[in-house]
Amino acid sequence: MNNKILLVDDEVLQLKIMERLLKSDGYQCISVTSVQEAELVLKNQIPDLIISDYEMPEANGFVFREKLLKNDALKNVPFLFLTSFNQEDLVQKGLDLQALDYIPKNIPPSQLLAKINNLMNTVHEQYQKSLSEIKNIAKKLNLSNIPPKAPLLKHFEIHYFNQSYQNHPGGDFIDFIKINERYTIMVLGDVMGKKWGAWFFSFSFLSYIRSAVRICVLDGNLCLSEILHKINKVIYADDFLKDIFSTLSMVLVDDEEAKITYAGAGDLPLLKFSHQHQGLLSHQSDGILLGFLENSTFSEQDITFEVGEEAYLVSDGMIDFEVNAVKKSDINLLKKRLYDLKISGKSTEEIKEILFNKEVSQIDDCSFIIIKRK
Amino acid sequence: MKISTVKTDKALIINIEEAEANFSKSDQFKELVFQEIEKGHHQLIISFKQVDYLDSSFLGAVVAVLKYLIPLQGKLVLVELNADIKNLFELTRLDKVFEIKKDINEASNIF
Repeated sequence: MNNKILLVDDEVLQLKIMERLLKSDGYQCISVTSVQEAELVLKNQIPDLIISDYEMPEANGFVFREKLLKNDALKNVPFLFLTSFNQEDLVQKGLDLQALDYIPKNIPPSQLLAKINNLMNTVHEQYQKSLSEIKNIAKKLNLSNIPPKAPLLKHFEIHYFNQSYQNHPGGDFIDFIKINERYTIMVLGDVMGKKWGAWFFSFSFLSYIRSAVRICVLDGNLCLSEILHKINKVIYADDFLKDIFSTLSMVLVDDEEAKITYAGAGDLPLLKFSHQHQGLLSHQSDGILLGFLENSTFSEQDITFEVGEEAYLVSDGMIDFEVNAVKKSDINLLKKRLYDLKISGKSTEEIKEILFNKEVSQIDDCSFIIIKRK
Repeated sequence: MKISTVKTDKALIINIEEAEANFSKSDQFKELVFQEIEKGHHQLIISFKQVDYLDSSFLGAVVAVLKYLIPLQGKLVLVELNADIKNLFELTRLDKVFEIKKDINEASNIF
């Protein structure tokens, strides 16, 4: 549930009282004493609610609200006035500026908290309703960037996981394209961006990928280098996607020979667990991000498996960590964690539980495919 | 999103004045740099000196800047990347398409 509130008031004591009240109910507060300071905060983060005083030196609450309404990124952030200036004309003007409420400062704290809770619950419910409606429409249109189930193969067990960021749809996409009884193509991609924008674009990328695979297969061509080359060409030529880039890991599973072929575009390396090696092996692809260059080459590499060995495809959210409020990207940390989990004998389900534990700070959407040789 | 610019006789230096270069700043960063390019600055040095963490959205914005400059015969050099960020460019093969130099002095030599 979203709970970050920006408090704007030139009276420091009032800010302290509000902070104490809101924090006691689980809210996070950012307190500032002027509109100028509030604007600096809003350059870096968007709160879930803004509560502003009316009378402040330099710029007052109405000036602040008018500026917010002109800013596309901020105009829809729920806004409340909390002030001692309660003449009718001011209340009317505050409400005309699309504030959700105009609250007198002498309101009893319990009532103020109840109003804020009701408002936040309504906003959250409305968001969930809209999200659910869009997801339903996407489902009806057969738009899905994560498949409902993994393919069942003779020689490999396939598992996959996808965890969205803060419950927003994201730019990661996964697909399994079964060519015939022998061959299956697996893709894991990540459109650069977060939340809605990346989610919408992921369908454009997936459509091109599915089409290119089908067209190549119809021509009897299962060469990943050529399939990726075609995908890249069409994406490069699409003006709609000219500023949008995506990584892509592509694996062709040969279920008869029990081997896989791998190629990629700007993706993180395929990782492989083998009992013979200390640590996970990295198989780096050589392709550049889809859509960046008109003519890119994408070399493919064969990867053989002994029984019990596993390969992992990961999106970049899997290597982003937040430790002590410091964010960093560290593939070696992921490799170490995965290797330690494997040698400690953890099952695939347990590994999933540990990697996607809610206690672990996640800062992007995360996707993960496990290919295990039976 | 804060950037500052310094014009030298060889290039426009763009300093990213943010510790966290992320999704919430990537679109604005792209627009600010595009504006500089439209003003005629086609030789750019982007400094990451103050950036501790860069996410894939912001990385995408930097890639978009390079793609925008290529048909204009422009040049873009990235400097002062910390080890994590440099590693991210290498992991995604972007070190093959970007000129990455240690500092502004080193970057200035290639214009």
